[in-house]
Amino acid sequence: MENSIYQVYEDEIQSLEEEIKMLAEKYEDSQQESTFFSDEEILMSMKSFQTEFQGELKGQESPSDLKAQLESLEADLSFLMKFTGIWFTSHSKKTVEKTGSRTIQKHRLSGNCHSLPFQLEFQLLEIKSKESVSAVITDLNVIMESGEYSGVSKFVSSTEEHGNLLPFFKSLSSYAEWYEHRRCTFLHFKTRYPDIVKLPEGLLGDYIVLRNPEPSGFELMIVWKIHVDEDGRTTPVLDLLTKVPEQVLEQNITTIENAPTCFRSMLLLFGIETAIENLIKVVGLKK
Amino acid sequence: MSAFPPAREQQRKMEEGRAYSQDGVLSHLEMLEAQAHELALKQEETEQQEEKLARLKARVQELRLRRDELQAKVDLQQKRLLGKEGVVTSSAPDAAQPSDRAVLEWKMKSVQAMLQVFYLTGISGKLTKHGVCFCISTAYEGTYLDSYYLDLLTKPEVRIRRHSVPVFIPLEQLAKKYLQTDIKRFLSVLSDHLNAYVGRRYQADQLQERFSERLEGALQRNSLCNVLVFNYNTSGKNQTFPFSAKLLYGDLCRSLPTEAVVSCTPDAPASLAGRTAAHSDVFRHVALHKAFDSISSPEEGLDRAP
Repeated sequence: MENSIYQVYEDEIQSLEEEIKMLAEKYEDSQQESTFFSDEEILMSMKSFQTEFQGELKGQESPSDLKAQLESLEADLSFLMKFTGIWFTSHSKKTVEKTGSRTIQKHRLSGNCHSLPFQLEFQLLEIKSKESVSAVITDLNVIMESGEYSGVSKFVSSTEEHGNLLPFFKSLSSYAEWYEHRRCTFLHFKTRYPDIVKLPEGLLGDYIVLRNPEPSGFELMIVWKIHVDEDGRTTPVLDLLTKVPEQVLEQNITTIENAPTCFRSMLLLFGIETAIENLIKVVGLKK
Repeated sequence: MSAFPPAREQQRKMEEGRAYSQDGVLSHLEMLEAQAHELALKQEETEQQEEKLARLKARVQELRLRRDELQAKVDLQQKRLLGKEGVVTSSAPDAAQPSDRAVLEWKMKSVQAMLQVFYLTGISGKLTKHGVCFCISTAYEGTYLDSYYLDLLTKPEVRIRRHSVPVFIPLEQLAKKYLQTDIKRFLSVLSDHLNAYVGRRYQADQLQERFSERLEGALQRNSLCNVLVFNYNTSGKNQTFPFSAKLLYGDLCRSLPTEAVVSCTPDAPASLAGRTAAHSDVFRHVALHKAFDSISSPEEGLDRAP
């Protein structure tokens, strides 16, 4: 009997404590999510913080502790960004629902993967259990300037459909690395053979033109696309197109016709750089 | 000696009498004392109970008050946010000037949040005294599954100090191949292996969970989940399991089988036996639990046919 009287109060205390914890978290979350400080403001606070609190307040963490903690977190973050090549430039989240162990947050994330900008929106459902937290991505929305990165559009839509966020980052990294590699390769040949190598769309375009400097000289076009399939596997696809004046064509018809096939086998045998290098030499030599 | 007998007698009698009356009084007193003690105990107990009850009541009051205050604070905050629609910057005129500590704590939380987002990319980690501790997260479609840790020493050469990668993942082989030359490549290939393993395991678990009535017992698998064997039917109403499948995952970095051998018991009707090739094809191209969705529905009609 007596125990049950206590029980009523103890139960209420427990439920109140839980309610208070939830409310406090909700308040903290919204406070965090609805505020924004610029880097300058943070730097200013960082500076004044240390002088302001000197010799004051023993109970709280000392300013140097807080500063050291922040610095160590920032070191971790910048290491990860450098290592992975994924640079987050802005991130915001908003708690949509929070009940007991279930949390739904809406995230907005933008950044660059190597040189490619991306923007993401998704919902993250987290369910906490005693041992672990399970996370599920829903409503994934990927925004990329797909006009510029034509190879990725199919992959982006399959990513959105399945909520494949983790493989998305992997494939985007590998795509971006190829993209960077292509730029470097084009730059290398343009610098080395400025008379022969032309870049009609600049370094970021997906083709180069090799033109014999002589007026009647023929032209080869190397198209280098980076293909990402639905599973996110990235492969470079190179093709050779020929544009040959008639008199040259008459002499070497078979050689020219076979050129694309030869180029493809050369790619397999020697790799991209050597294959292009060889072509440039051929174009330069002619006539 | 004889001069004292009366005195001695008297003394003896007195002693007896004293003992007698002493006994009675003492036991009475003892009884009283016990009663008083009991009473005191009871009183103390009720006092304690009352005290405890009062304490509990006070605590409930205190908590209710705190809850109401907090609720009011949250309501006010929500109202303000709704009015402003979006981000409140510190330059807003009515916002109280935040303390430097608050600003730094805000920054710390946002850096922490960004670090947590790295978990979603598949690779996160933190610097340690002697190197880096990486965390490789895995996911099947949108569902995040296990994470594995890899504590690396970077000096004098890269070495794995501790890790939580399962033994059946060829970690040592991969380390030998890439660790010294290209850590990024090493982690990427390791992550492919782990994601593929977790993906195969997830599909097998899903199949077992969702379609247990179509499976004959538990499906058999090895620890790497790259060989799966099971007997099944295409409609849960049947008690017989005419099909048997053996799935081999030749590519350890993928979660779809490279080979799917499907056979049918000899006594099964020819209409079923004819479907084994189609099943094998579905298994090789569609996730296991989704494959079961697509092979079961058209079959039901066939099973019911006389």
